[in-house]
Parts: sequence; structure tokens; C-alpha cells
Amino acid sequence: MSNRTHTRRDFLKNAAASAAAGALFLNAPEELAPQAGAKSRVILIRNRNLLDAGGAPRKEVVRQMLDDAVASLLGEKEPLTAWRRLVKPSDVVGVKTNEWSYLRTPVEVEDAIKRRIMDAGVPAGNISISDRGVRGDDIFEKATALVNVRPMRTHHWAGVGSLIKNYIVFSRLPFTHHGDSCADLAEIWSFPEIRGKTRLNILVMFTPLFHGIGPHHFNRTYVWPYQGLLVGTDPVAVDSTGVRILLAKRRRYFREDRPLSPPPKHVFLADTRHHLGTADPNRIELVKLGWKDDVLI
Amino acid sequence: MTQGHQRSVVAPAEINGWKATGERKYRKRQLYDYIDGGAELYLSYGFNSLASRDYTRPGQPDITLDCFDMGSSHNAFGVFSQSREKIEKDAGQGSEYASGQMIFWKDRYYVSIMSQKETAESKRAVFALARSVADAIPNEGPLPAILNLLPKGELAPESVRYFRHHVWLNSHYYISDQNILRINEKTDAVLAKYGRGLRRTVLLLIEYPDDTEVRLAREDFTERYLPEIVGRRAVRIEDGTWTACDSNGRVFVAVFNASTEQAALRLIDAVRKMMIKSQKQEPEHE
Repeated sequence: MSNRTHTRRDFLKNAAASAAAGALFLNAPEELAPQAGAKSRVILIRNRNLLDAGGAPRKEVVRQMLDDAVASLLGEKEPLTAWRRLVKPSDVVGVKTNEWSYLRTPVEVEDAIKRRIMDAGVPAGNISISDRGVRGDDIFEKATALVNVRPMRTHHWAGVGSLIKNYIVFSRLPFTHHGDSCADLAEIWSFPEIRGKTRLNILVMFTPLFHGIGPHHFNRTYVWPYQGLLVGTDPVAVDSTGVRILLAKRRRYFREDRPLSPPPKHVFLADTRHHLGTADPNRIELVKLGWKDDVLI
Repeated sequence: MTQGHQRSVVAPAEINGWKATGERKYRKRQLYDYIDGGAELYLSYGFNSLASRDYTRPGQPDITLDCFDMGSSHNAFGVFSQSREKIEKDAGQGSEYASGQMIFWKDRYYVSIMSQKETAESKRAVFALARSVADAIPNEGPLPAILNLLPKGELAPESVRYFRHHVWLNSHYYISDQNILRINEKTDAVLAKYGRGLRRTVLLLIEYPDDTEVRLAREDFTERYLPEIVGRRAVRIEDGTWTACDSNGRVFVAVFNASTEQAALRLIDAVRKMMIKSQKQEPEHE
């Protein structure tokens, strides 16, 4: 663990170098992890018809987006073939969702994930979808595979509500990970009940929150219909890509460079200190599918 | 709702047809239960207690009132300043309204009133409730004195951020992942932007409890961020902007992001003048 100081000037001198330091992959099954020198693949898929007039996701569009993203991620033509590489019929699967009341993981996404896990042969009784109930949940306690899914949003203290942060409820004492603006959240990923089990990370970008005000850190002024999903096996690469989209949106909205408040250092330290994945754009293969307008990245 | 030491802020039982449905109170540890993930902001500003109540009206969105006792007007202003985007004063000593949500501060209270969705009726109710709660807080509180050192000129007043935790410096202008300026609960820090456009000049002032702390902070800043400043007043950094720093008494001053050396030094000198002016206005002590 390094306590070297990272200053603005370091980043200006070489923005990529510090983030590229330790792109090792501890959390994906070996066959899904990038080989030495390979890039982390992240799929960004968008569909301009995802949200209906009332702002609700159309479930058939969600299913198609997820299928296309997972197939592309694993280089398969058939989505089911790809899902069968992610989970086996013998797996016990925990889907770690997020139920934050203002911007939860859409039920349509949870349903699409569960459907495909079942299509891959996992019995419904061996699948659980939970957020705060993961501790004490029978399925999560004996899970052999995890799927991590949540919406992207800014966060009061961690900078962003990220995929990395989504596992904080596996900790007995979540507040003990709040130090230094949640800098070391990635250490949670080394817990025995998590380590090496995460097969897929899905960052929901349907209506991301790019700025927060007030005690609940939510205001409809600061969400926008991006209508996308970010999907990958490397949670740091997916989060890092999500952060870049939020930063681009903030720059466009505020008409100045406006850092996230506070900076999402846990995403970058997940790479440089905890070696969970890569946050370095130069080591991320970003594949963009679907709707391109205002893609921001 | 708590106010004074034992008294209560009197929130109305009914406003524009919305009726209060009970009150919840939270102390420090309980705050995580209510605003998971958001508690640290308030804790970093000396949070004391929170009283929260919901208002309901059939056929209309619920409205939630959160009244934070931050222990001092400095803290209440500080937490309010964290997210301020525009200057408004529709309630209390400063307010901001956006899409169904009103936040304001008065004395040592930071108040949020949020309608789950915005309707014409709920907007009127939110404003009426804000004014009612603000009126129930009898006194205004003083602003942090360090704000008086900010030169006016091209100051963007909505950009002023007051804080006593180093995380909030990086929130608005990233310098380092380490607390190299030794900002803590005993320091008063203010950050403000000057000018308009994509790249505004950033002014940072930090007042330390004693001369030793300001000296150590300046040494750390020089060594770890701006070594070239030794023997000079300003340095052009890697992005082409100019950074300057100064210290006077217990106050450290830094200018970032200036487009020219002259612009950086003008701001440094303007702060010096504000300090002299401020010292002249202070009563003398034996």
C-alpha cells in the first residue's frame, strides 16, 4: 500500500502514469480477466428509445441492451452463450443491487439479469437479488458468483456511488470505510465472501445523477436521460468510465471544469493502491454501441 | 425541532393543505440511518442534531422538512455554501431553490425542504414552509470573519465555499490527495472563484490557530506542491496557469489557475490590502 502524494501537478505531468501503476485483476474469474498487457474491455450501450414518455425504462429495450452488451463484452454472437461463460448451472448467484430510494437499480434491469442467469441454467432458488440484506441472506452467504449492478450517481462523501462502493454493505461496520472520503473502499473486495466471485459489473446510466444538493443529495435538475449501460468484468474500469462521463456532463452543464465533490479517489486508489482493476483510460478498451448523440466520451 | 439550547423551532402543523405526519430526531450516529452516505458532509461541519418531518396532502407529492442544528452559524453557512450555485434569499440568510427543493440557512440551522415532485401547489407550499421555519428562528448568525478578506472585484459570490475539512478543498479545486495544507477543525478555510468562463482564477485563504501552523503549512505546500516558488512570488505550472502563495500573520493565501503572473499577484496583493483594512477595523486588545 503506497502513501505517496498525488498532486494536481503530477496528474498534469502524466495523467495516465499513476493510474496505470497496478492493473492487476483479483476479482474476475481467470478466464475473464485481461491477460498481461491486455486492456480491460468496457461496453457502453445506449438506446434513445429506452425511456418511455413517463421516464420509465421499456423492459424489452433493457433486455436487448443487456444482451447486446454482454455478448459484445465476451466476443460472442449469442447472448446466451456469453451468459453461460459467466455462470454455470451449479453456481449460486447473488445479484448485488442498489435500492437508494431516489435512484435505485431499475427493476427492469434486475429482472433482465435474473432471466439470463436462469436461462444459463441456474435454478431460481439459487439466485438472490438484494442490497442491504446481503449479510444474513442464505444465497449470498453461500454464493459462488456475484453480479454487481447499480446506477451511477454523485455521492456526498465518496465522490460517486460506484460499483466499487456498492459492496460496502458486505462490511459489518460500513462507516469504518468512510475515512478519507472512502479512499480505501476497494479493500472490501478482498473479503472472502466477495474475492474472486464477481462475474459481471453493470453500471446503470439510464438517468445518472451528475450533481447533488441538500441532505438527500438528489434533485431532478441534475439527472439527465443518458439512456445507457456500462458493462464489464473490471469494476474499476467500468467506474472510471462512468466518472469520465459524469465529469464531461458537469463540464457541459456548469460551463467550467468542475471536479466531483469530493473527488472519487476510491476509484483511482482501487487501481493504484488496491490493484483491483484499471482506472487508466489508456488501458481500457471502450466499445460504444447504439445511440451516439451526446455520448460525452 | 431543536433551537436555542432547549427551545424548539416551531414548524407548522399544516401548510397550504399539507399536514405534518410526525417528527423524527437524529443524533450523530443515527444520522447514517437517515441519510446513508450523506452523513459525513454534516459530521465534517460539526453536526449536532436533525429534526425531520413529512407533510402530506392527498393528490399532491409529499414534502420533507429537514432542520439541521449545526452548532454554529459558521457551520450552517459552511454546509450551505458547499452546493450553492446561485445567490438567492427567499428564506433565512441565504437560500437556493431548484426543482421542488429549497435549502436555506439561518443562525446555526441548515434547512432543506423537498417536495418529492414539483407541482405548482407544492412549490408554493415549499416556499411558505421555508418562510415559516425561517421566521421561527429568531436571530441571524454571524458569517465567518475570514470571508471579509475576500477581495470583491471579479468575485463570483455563489462560488464562495467555507470549510474546515480538507476533503472540501479538493471538492472544488484538487491540489493533492494528502492534506498538505493541514486543514482541520481548528482552521478556517474559504475558497472563491474570480472572473467568468471555463477557467476561473481560484483564491484560497486559510486561517490557522497560530503562527507555527501557518509556517508548517506553507513549508509543506512549498515542498510537496510548489518547490519552484522559493525566491519567487508566482510559478507557472504544467497547464500554463499561474500559482502564487503568500502568508500574513496566521493567514495563508494561495492563488491558482490565474491566466497571467500579473493576475495572480494582483489577487495576492488585493488580499493583503483586505487584511490591512480588516486589522484596522478590529478593536485593539491590551
